[in-house]
Amino acid sequence: MIPEQFFIVATLLFSIGLVGVVSRRNIFVVYLSIELMLSSVNLLLVTFSRIDQSMNGSVMALLLIAVIAAEASLFLAMIIQLYRSKRSLDSDHFNLLNQNKGDL
Amino acid sequence: MILLSFIVLIPFISALVLGVIYLYDPTKPREKLYATIGVTAPAISATIALVIEAKLLSMDASTVFYYKLFDWIEIGDFHINIAFMADRLSAVMLFFITVIGTLIHLYASGYMKGDSGYGKFFSYFNLFMGSMLLLVLADNPIVMFIGWELVGLSSYLLISFYHQKHANVTAGNKAFILNRIGDFGFIIGLVVLFISLEGYGYTFAEIEANITLIDPTTLTLIAVLLFVGAMGKSAQIPLFVWLPDAMAGPTPVSALIHAATMVTAGVYMVARFSFLYNNTPDIGEFIALIGASTALLGAIIASFQNDIKKILAYSTMSQLGYMFIAVGLGAYSSGIFHVFTHAFFKALLFMGAGAIIIALHHEQNIFKMGGLKEKLKWVYIPMLIATLAISGIPPFAGFFSKDAILITAFSSGHHSIWVMGTITAFLTAYYMFRLLFVVFLAPSKKAQKLEPLPNSMIVPLLILAVGSATAGLLGVPEALGGSNLFASFVALPDKPLHIPHSTEYLLSALNITLALLGVALAYKLFARAVHEPLNNSAWRFVVVNKFYIDELYTLLIVKPLLILSRLLLYLIDGKIIDNIINLIIYSYRRVGVSVASLQNGKVRYYAFYILIGVSFISTSMLILLGGF
Amino acid sequence: MLENSIFAILTLFLVIGSLGMISFKHTIFSAFSFLIAMLALAGLFALLENSFLFLAQIMVSVGAVVVLGLMVIISLGSIEKNIPDEPYKFYWIALSTLLVTPLALLIYKGLLTLHAHFNETKEGYGELKSMGEQLFSEWVLPFEAVSVLLLTAMVGAIVIARKEKYFKKKNYFDEHKHQEDTK
Repeated sequence: MIPEQFFIVATLLFSIGLVGVVSRRNIFVVYLSIELMLSSVNLLLVTFSRIDQSMNGSVMALLLIAVIAAEASLFLAMIIQLYRSKRSLDSDHFNLLNQNKGDL
Repeated sequence: MILLSFIVLIPFISALVLGVIYLYDPTKPREKLYATIGVTAPAISATIALVIEAKLLSMDASTVFYYKLFDWIEIGDFHINIAFMADRLSAVMLFFITVIGTLIHLYASGYMKGDSGYGKFFSYFNLFMGSMLLLVLADNPIVMFIGWELVGLSSYLLISFYHQKHANVTAGNKAFILNRIGDFGFIIGLVVLFISLEGYGYTFAEIEANITLIDPTTLTLIAVLLFVGAMGKSAQIPLFVWLPDAMAGPTPVSALIHAATMVTAGVYMVARFSFLYNNTPDIGEFIALIGASTALLGAIIASFQNDIKKILAYSTMSQLGYMFIAVGLGAYSSGIFHVFTHAFFKALLFMGAGAIIIALHHEQNIFKMGGLKEKLKWVYIPMLIATLAISGIPPFAGFFSKDAILITAFSSGHHSIWVMGTITAFLTAYYMFRLLFVVFLAPSKKAQKLEPLPNSMIVPLLILAVGSATAGLLGVPEALGGSNLFASFVALPDKPLHIPHSTEYLLSALNITLALLGVALAYKLFARAVHEPLNNSAWRFVVVNKFYIDELYTLLIVKPLLILSRLLLYLIDGKIIDNIINLIIYSYRRVGVSVASLQNGKVRYYAFYILIGVSFISTSMLILLGGF
Repeated sequence: MLENSIFAILTLFLVIGSLGMISFKHTIFSAFSFLIAMLALAGLFALLENSFLFLAQIMVSVGAVVVLGLMVIISLGSIEKNIPDEPYKFYWIALSTLLVTPLALLIYKGLLTLHAHFNETKEGYGELKSMGEQLFSEWVLPFEAVSVLLLTAMVGAIVIARKEKYFKKKNYFDEHKHQEDTK
């Protein structure tokens, strides 16, 4: 096993997560993609910890997992609130910032 | 010779002062103040002019007084100064312009009494005086052109003075536009002149010295173009149609501008450029022909007019034709002499007409007047003298000047010109005495209650009557025993005449006889009971409507121009240019809308835009760092 | 050899899971794919000889996050009409992939410059004990901070997701107007 393998995996995960954030309209999929991106960072941290042989990276990864949990709850609360206001789970329906009113 | 500048500047300053005072409160009638300032300014100019003339008289013929006001344009070789020059020709013009001008200002102070625009009138009138003096005292053609344009402007302002009536404004426009057409030719002529001289001269003296540098064809072109300017300013064929319409202005305006001074600017210009016209005798012949035709046409139309001012207007046109015959054939002194005498009697005639018009409460049709000989005695006598003068009856002024012109025409060999001139002389006597008899001698239809005339109007009439009577004596030719003081004073390069004295006597006798015949005919037809003639024959109809020349111009020139303008407006401006602009605007807005649609409020798209940016940077980084 | 094959299988599951997560139309299927991906990731942690995080990942990421997510998804996201209709989904994914590729390459290139390699681990690496030692000595401040963060997040989530009617305060003027009307 060489670190490069893990690097490739982490980068791949990050990219897939990024693609998911940008491409999907479903809010839940966006949320899950963000989680995926954070998890890829986690993997990277643990790899570095293994390379360094110290626990620093692992501790960071643990704290990051805690942060992930906290952010998950907030995220889902917001999704519930958004659903209440517009009855829709489509991120494209939330476009109050739209300046593009009317025609020529 | 700083006095020269005063002559020109004092009327201008007075015009400015009057304008400021008038505009400060236009409704307050300050007639005495306006009249005082308005008449004093030309009077001062007149005094200074007389002083200068006295000085010039005592010096020899080639003395020139000169004063430079300031350097105006200095671009490389192109050097124009605002400078004044007074030689003997200018002195002669100065004399009658200032003296007659002052008298007419005095007359106007009485004529315009009660008018609400009194101050405005005198401001414009003084502006005109200043411009005319600038024209005459100019040192170089450009400054003369400034004066030329300014007199055109003043003429426009004064013709349209009673601007409440639309017809007057149209007449003013017509005068200005036709003047402008002439000015166009004039300035092109000046441009060609300056280009062909190639920087060798911009003042009259320098041009005269270098005139031989120009080749004959260019010289002919310049001569023709300069004369086009004279055609417009001095109402010759084909640009004369503004002069009768210009009678819509107040009578003092007609007297000063359209009789004595502005219209003679063209003649002055030709005389001033005598060194040029001497080298182009063909153009001179052309000018004389135009002059003769104009003289004849004017006389014919005048014989059938009923409006007193229109008769005098066509008479002016006719007499101007005489002046151009003279200067065209090289007899510059005779032409200027006729300008000089004509100023006296024409101004007098107009002022008298104005007096009659005021007395009869603004009636202008001569067939509604009559029997005024006793009631308006002090108008009748001066007008009788002026009419005798204009008809060419000795020893009054017109005889000597007109005679000299006709003799020149005969001796030059262009007999057609002489014939036209002689017929015109007959007609002149006829229509002028027709006017006199119908207005003064023939019995009137109804009893008229006359408006009393102020002294300020009568006194100038008397003074000018003396002038009309005696001015001719200045130019008595050698043949009749005089020494022709005028010609020797003016000292212009005339072409010498080669006819024996006996022929001269014969011609003079012929002229006198024809004039008396004209008087007799007028007496027979009009001195008794008279009624307004009916326009019942076709010939009458055509002549009374001025040979339909105005209508011809409208058809040939004005209407096509209007059609062209409408075409340009609706087709080119409306459809093509507006559509191009609209297309540009439409494109901008479309592009704007498209770009604006990027900002659609969806956060996902914004993340995508960030991704695009990041991707772009990454790509460049990868390339810079040497690829993968 | 064994490690490599385990690594290969785990990576396979991970990648298929994440790809499925972003591709499925039904939300529940995405959530389940994510679940599989998280489990695979935990396995990877174990491969890196980090036993504590292997457990922590399963407990939190699967046991808390995915469960919570599934709760909400089942209540809201399973109704057919709520699920958005995405006709151009694959075009978007393709385009995004194209754009993300340079970034990924750049990141990987940066990571390569580390010239890292694995050494043998010490005794007690990745154990709970060493984790605890670090947590309570060197990393105590971030640890406490994260606990405060968790508390705040809890409060915040409750506040955000509350029903409006318990929230709305009467406007001062509405109160007075109401009083005037009833005078």
